[in-house]
Amino acid sequence: MIYEALGFYSLSLFILFFAYKTITVPNPVHSALYLVLTMMGLAGTFFNLGAEFIAGVQLIVYAGAVMVLFVMVLMLFDLKAELRSFSRGLLSGSLKVMASALLAGMALGAIKNSVDPAGLQPPAEISANATRQIGVLLYTQYLFAFEVLGVLLLVVAVGVVAVSRMKGGTHAKH
Amino acid sequence: MSQLLPVLLLAAFVTVFGAALMGLANLLSAKAKKNTVKGETYECGIPADTSGSTKVPIKFYLTAILFILFDIEIIFMYPWALTYGDFISSGYGIYAFSAMAVFIAVFVFGLFWEVKSKALEWE
Amino acid sequence: MGSDWFEFTVNFIKMILIFLMMVQIVPLLVWVERRGSAFIQNRLGPNRVGPLGLMQLLADAVKFLTKEEFVPARGHSMLFYLAPIAAMIPATLALAAIPLSVPIHVEAFEWLGQNWGPYVFKFQGYDFGIGIVFVLGVSSLAAYALLLAGYASNNKYALFGALRASAQTISYELAMGLSIVGVILLFGTFSFSEMVTAQAHALSFSFFGQPVEISWLPNWGIFYQPLGALILFAAMFAEANRLPFDLPEAEGELVAGYHTEYSGFKFNMFFIGEYGHMLVASALMVIFYFGGYTLYPWLTPATVSSWFADLSPTKASLFTALVLHVVLLLKIVVFLWIFIWARWTLPRFRYDQLMDLGWRKMLPWALFNTVVTAIAILVMRHQWGQ
Repeated sequence: MIYEALGFYSLSLFILFFAYKTITVPNPVHSALYLVLTMMGLAGTFFNLGAEFIAGVQLIVYAGAVMVLFVMVLMLFDLKAELRSFSRGLLSGSLKVMASALLAGMALGAIKNSVDPAGLQPPAEISANATRQIGVLLYTQYLFAFEVLGVLLLVVAVGVVAVSRMKGGTHAKH
Repeated sequence: MSQLLPVLLLAAFVTVFGAALMGLANLLSAKAKKNTVKGETYECGIPADTSGSTKVPIKFYLTAILFILFDIEIIFMYPWALTYGDFISSGYGIYAFSAMAVFIAVFVFGLFWEVKSKALEWE
Repeated sequence: MGSDWFEFTVNFIKMILIFLMMVQIVPLLVWVERRGSAFIQNRLGPNRVGPLGLMQLLADAVKFLTKEEFVPARGHSMLFYLAPIAAMIPATLALAAIPLSVPIHVEAFEWLGQNWGPYVFKFQGYDFGIGIVFVLGVSSLAAYALLLAGYASNNKYALFGALRASAQTISYELAMGLSIVGVILLFGTFSFSEMVTAQAHALSFSFFGQPVEISWLPNWGIFYQPLGALILFAAMFAEANRLPFDLPEAEGELVAGYHTEYSGFKFNMFFIGEYGHMLVASALMVIFYFGGYTLYPWLTPATVSSWFADLSPTKASLFTALVLHVVLLLKIVVFLWIFIWARWTLPRFRYDQLMDLGWRKMLPWALFNTVVTAIAILVMRHQWGQ
């Protein structure tokens, strides 16, 4: 039990440290790379909690796919002008304050709504068949949500192609 | 934690191993004098021109975004593939198959549309 | 990882041995590749240093260590040093999750005046229930090494090489992930050792509810998933950046791609990563489709352990594991040779052909394979009319 707690807290420290670095380093590429490490820490936490499949998905989708896109975009665009316009000025300042307030509100709400973990009994067999349980639940109880998700992904795919066809913007030919 | 520990230990070991080898190579390697021309950005021999941003075809971003979308769809097939046998042996095989068939139909439609719209064509 | 220090130490040494196995296979494969290419092209290849040119490997290692360590002046030196290490980690972590033989059962024994055991040592770094998902997740991190190398070099050739490489890796990851769905459908598990166990007996399946058994054939995945095996193997070539998919380092256009600025041991580490991916790919092919560390009807865990029946249980278990490990290694060697063979046989693709193959041919065929497998399993196993 003591090792479990030790593992949880060291992983949490890992995540918090790299999340802090993500928002404080000036270079956007370094920031994205720190975010990759944060994502890996999250995968480790899921794993630690017995949600092995979710940990794998976190690794494949977030660390492996979404962040590759981020890093690619940041590496290849010269973002100096955008950075300057975003890092000063009244509008971006007020946006930042609003975003922080929103985040603080969400964190407080999460704390208020969370259940006291001391009162919970861990389920008897958690990790052995958790993935099978996810499978059965996903294709019976949450079937509608699952099918709608397929349609949602289709809509996004169509939208992406449409946006990529658009002329104009900062990189348009003159 | 007991499950995660070996992964972390192995990753740490590889890092230390790599760092140690690079350190060894640094010790043993031939030392060159400081040379500003040699350290310049490599651009086929002419004086380097690194000003200005690099223009990159939007296809690469399009590929990456479409990859994320299709990757998520494929990930959703994994728990289904895992439980498919259980569904069949408990007599709900046709149900499980049709649940995924609808999803795959949407997937195929998306893929077909992408091919038709020439978004996946490189010249 | 272990209940006491003995178990912990053995498990740790085991992982390091797996890593060192991956590292030391690189010089051997480089030798095979050079001699093999010479053989294919009717040349001699390196044959001067030592018998059959084998000492060439040592000469190469010395050369790698004594090359000048070059770091581009305008690059990001920290990331520049980090990229080669990042190239080795994904392949190592994936290889350690793959079972290389049956577990070794060690009986309780007395040593240094203490009682130890009994223990069960798995013949792999760690065994997770989600084996395949873990390997896929870790392999998907391989793109970062390329991106980091390209970005840290601060040079357009390297950057474009990295961009091409990562776009190629992610495109073929889709076909790879989808062809594995067929394997999971077939065996109904994520765990590698359960898949191998399922392949260690005679070919048997249910045909419209009637059990059919063909006793002279093993129950290998290749008989059920020939198309999936082909797609997976082709996608693995692209994942490992091997010819005919080695566009990222197309010499004609991009000098050397993402490792243009790398020399000496840092360059060698990218090599270790590439050959590590080949090793993981071969091991996955063998485990998914070719019976893993078993060879029915001669070499299964049951038959091999009966050879050692008159030894003590610990020794019998150890020797069984070693024999089966050799079986797996021999099968892996066959696939590694196919990797090398293809490199010297097939011409390189053009970039548009490469992306076309990945997205418009292999992805639909992998999807077709999944659907056909699902229908076949439903038709064969469903209890019709009950």
